[in-house]
Amino acid sequence: MSQNRSPLVAGVFSLLVPGLGQIYIGQRYRGVAILLGTLVAAGMVFWYGDPLWYFVPALIGLWNVWDAVSLARAGQTRPIWIPVLAALLAAYTIGWQVVGIDFSAADADRAMQILRPMLRPDFVQERREVNSMWVPVQVPCGPQPPQARREDGGKSALVMPDCAGVNETMILNVNGMWPDTDTNVVWRTPIGDPKMIGENEAEMLVVRSDASGVVTTAIHVPSTALVAAPDPTLPQEHRVYVYQYRPKGGIELSYIGSEVLNGALITIGMALIATMLAVFLAIPISFLAAHNLMGGNPVTYAIYVVMRTILNVLRSIESLIIAIIFVVIVGLGPFAGVLALAMHSIAALAKLYSEVIEGIDPGPIEAIRATGANWLQTVRYAVIPQIIPPFTAFTIYRWDINVRSATIVGFVGGGGLGFLLIELIRVNNMQGVSAVFITIAIIVTAMDYISAKIRERLV
Amino acid sequence: MENRLSTGKIIRNTLLAALIILALGISWNVTGVDFPRLIRDLPKGRNIVLAFLTPDLTTRETTTTTVSLAFPIPCGSAPEGEVLTSGPRLVPSVTCAEPKTKFTLEGFDLAPNSEIVIRWKLPDERIMTAIRVQSDEKGYFTANMEARPIAATANNISSRLEVDALTPVGGLKPSEAVQDVLAAMFVTIFMALLSTTLATIVAAPLSFLAASNITKRGPLGTLVYYFTRSIFNLLRSYDPLVMATVFGFWLSFGAFPGFLALSVVTVASLGKLFSEAVEGIDPGPLEALQATGANRLQMVIYGVVPQIVPDFISFIIYHWDINVRISTIIGFVGGGGIGYYLSERINGFEYSKAGTAIWAIVLVVMAMDFLSAEVRKRLS
Amino acid sequence: MLRIQHVSKTYPNGTQALKDVSFDVADGEFMVVIGLSGSGKSTLLRCINRLIDPSEGKIYWNDTDVTSANAAELRNIRRNIGMVFQQFNLVKRSSVLTNVLSGRLGYANPWLSLLGIWPQEEKDRALKALARVGIAEKAFSRADALSGGQQQRVGIARALMQEPKIILADEPVASLDPVLSHSILQYLEVLNKEGITVICSLHFLDLVHRYATRVVALKDGMKVFEGSAKEIDRAKFKEIYGEEAQEVRAASF
Repeated sequence: MSQNRSPLVAGVFSLLVPGLGQIYIGQRYRGVAILLGTLVAAGMVFWYGDPLWYFVPALIGLWNVWDAVSLARAGQTRPIWIPVLAALLAAYTIGWQVVGIDFSAADADRAMQILRPMLRPDFVQERREVNSMWVPVQVPCGPQPPQARREDGGKSALVMPDCAGVNETMILNVNGMWPDTDTNVVWRTPIGDPKMIGENEAEMLVVRSDASGVVTTAIHVPSTALVAAPDPTLPQEHRVYVYQYRPKGGIELSYIGSEVLNGALITIGMALIATMLAVFLAIPISFLAAHNLMGGNPVTYAIYVVMRTILNVLRSIESLIIAIIFVVIVGLGPFAGVLALAMHSIAALAKLYSEVIEGIDPGPIEAIRATGANWLQTVRYAVIPQIIPPFTAFTIYRWDINVRSATIVGFVGGGGLGFLLIELIRVNNMQGVSAVFITIAIIVTAMDYISAKIRERLV
Repeated sequence: MENRLSTGKIIRNTLLAALIILALGISWNVTGVDFPRLIRDLPKGRNIVLAFLTPDLTTRETTTTTVSLAFPIPCGSAPEGEVLTSGPRLVPSVTCAEPKTKFTLEGFDLAPNSEIVIRWKLPDERIMTAIRVQSDEKGYFTANMEARPIAATANNISSRLEVDALTPVGGLKPSEAVQDVLAAMFVTIFMALLSTTLATIVAAPLSFLAASNITKRGPLGTLVYYFTRSIFNLLRSYDPLVMATVFGFWLSFGAFPGFLALSVVTVASLGKLFSEAVEGIDPGPLEALQATGANRLQMVIYGVVPQIVPDFISFIIYHWDINVRISTIIGFVGGGGIGYYLSERINGFEYSKAGTAIWAIVLVVMAMDFLSAEVRKRLS
Repeated sequence: MLRIQHVSKTYPNGTQALKDVSFDVADGEFMVVIGLSGSGKSTLLRCINRLIDPSEGKIYWNDTDVTSANAAELRNIRRNIGMVFQQFNLVKRSSVLTNVLSGRLGYANPWLSLLGIWPQEEKDRALKALARVGIAEKAFSRADALSGGQQQRVGIARALMQEPKIILADEPVASLDPVLSHSILQYLEVLNKEGITVICSLHFLDLVHRYATRVVALKDGMKVFEGSAKEIDRAKFKEIYGEEAQEVRAASF
């Protein structure tokens, strides 16, 4: 077809609009691709604003004229790798700058600071026994301070003198504690606020008990003891606590560990409920979005087109973004995450379901109708048996995906592991972060395995 | 069929059903499902959804004329402004006020039919927008104001009432949001492109280590095979956003940590797909090459590579598509690009601008979906 | 007695599949409709039980007007007419027994059948029907686990469940090899001997000679021949369908 086209016309066409010459010669696909490619390259360079890079669209333009002329003259194309290479070169160089890739910023020391605690995930801790005792102290001194001594279960504690002002020093003496054990001493204000009274009030005061279980130490009233008091001149009862710990053998869940497990439960639950809600809504919608059911007349076809469009738009919005809307409506928490996941899943499932419906074999429907079955019976015996197994497989597949997504809707307040992860990162608790990472890996791998097994059996 | 159901099967099915119901019940509880609340509070979502549906796309070019008037709060703290009697002017019902008193402000002979922005210019030059009204055809407006305590006189300098009349001239032009979104979108697409590329470069050689037909020979090979496999599987189980939280924490916010997080997960994901493609190759041509006396490397280049290239390209394009999708949201947790822009706008309650970003995401994701499907269709 | 009078069918896309076709089928006949693919055989058979509505003409079955029957009447007529299909049209994921039972839907209690509950007598009837076509032991297999010949036998068992007066068989052996073809047609022949009218479309002349009591030939939607099987020999076949039809027929064996 190309031999009766004029090389001059083709060249001029391609010079005016890249690709037009190729279209003129009859290579429509090539022409459109060249046009799009040139536009994208030019747009990219224009946006980046460095005039140096205009050589790329210029090069593509020149190549395109060459290609058109040579196609018209000899029916031979010119190598496409020239413009592709130029465009890639520009894309990568510009992209490198725009993304701000800077491997020298990848600070290894900081990485180690983050990674080292991650090797010790905060899941469990040693089970330990606590031995505690407290004694009241009046701060500041009133006219007749009560005695600062207390006895309890074979232990006795006293502070001398019975009362003191802020920053004043006192002597603490406790009898009947475990012998030769490190003992933490903590000050508690009347509202129960703990204060550290070690070095600079920034560290725990730790004293070792002697061989007969006696703890003796000098303590001072913390400078912040009266900060929260309504009237700092009014004498009030403060308390001095001593704690001893010793391993009991065995391990128990740490606080973070229990939070992580709770988060994992919420995450799996979110995925489960979201998938269930999505199935209920996606089934009727999928029938409306199935071409073979809705293609019959203009009204149903219009419904079909509208449905498909809504589903496509909804499907391209990540559940994370949808979650933002639901957080505004129902507040922070897993429910917002459930709704967001459900919304996205409805769109995804309805599309898959409708494709199943479009793909069913019409033969059995005809056969069942021919036996004199009514409409409902036909659906029950010819349609449902065909769609149930693929529907189930897709649903389980979706649940699997939702477990993954449930970890990230938490980032915007959707609850579960994601929410916990963001909080832990914020307070720089890398041991906790590590526990979350391990849990996610276990859950996702297990889900992967289970869902693959079930789907294998269904198909 | 029923007579074929053994008692064991019935018990198993009943247990399974009970288990599912139990799981749903527990999930329902821990997730705090509360539909009455959803229905009751649905109106709360109206504004945000409406704003998303009416994205900030265009602005009109305007000329701004400003008039201002000194307004001491409280009275006597500074000289009062002089109220003009002609020309564009502001006329408050009182020329000074105690904090929290209400007054009306009138404007005369301003630009007709224009948007009027009334604001306080505080003594320290900060601007506080109070209210927006519309002027009538004579250039007149009236507005109810309150002498806000924050606008009190400081250092003997009083706050000023400033009024901008924005008169539209000329046509529509893309709004600032559109330009910002466009720029952020470029970053996003490049982030996806570069991370997919880096991931390909790393994953392609690694995938051979994770292919049983290539590597699983001898104890060392078997070890390498299982090790690579496990790493792929482990990394693959993290959503790129989860990965990005740590990378963002390490490298501070920006497109670079987002790019790295995306790359790491893509390496694992592509590595697995690639290795499966390598495992699926036809051994026939390899045997033939071996028969000609080719060495291992030659066998890979002439026997393996030609068989896997189409699969590889298809996987790469598929992943670029996925990565564009993910990089639109990776900014929420420390990656840059459109996700960061979006989360910033949402945190600032600028929902119309957020709407612009969301529509841009929808368009780009749908376009990528279509393009990648088309290209892969052509390849297969 | 089935009477087909001046039946025409034009599809919405303009294709005229049947043009003024008329013939009668007496009770107990093994009537074969022959024709090349696209000659209108399938459309004709589907017009008889109105899986396809004819555009013009009338079909009477024992003086009941099939063409003007309302939905309820039509279901009543259909349950007396069994149908066997070229592609078997079984629900592949359902068990063989369920597929056979579904032939009884026109008789069954509509609500119980929706729940999948069948009385024991119906299940016995289904097992008996499967036994008649020689695959009783496959009752609990999934339909797609069966070979093509076995699937077609399930199709016949499904038609038997209807206790039909007529069986419409649309190219029942076109997807099977010659040996299986004979075995399937022999089942239909046995049923025919028991008094069921069989209307069967075929495109192999040898099979027509072996089984048909009467033949109707279609070409481009028009009836071009009606008579006994003996009257239509190879020469006549060639005269009707031309040279290439001979080749198609020959190549098929």
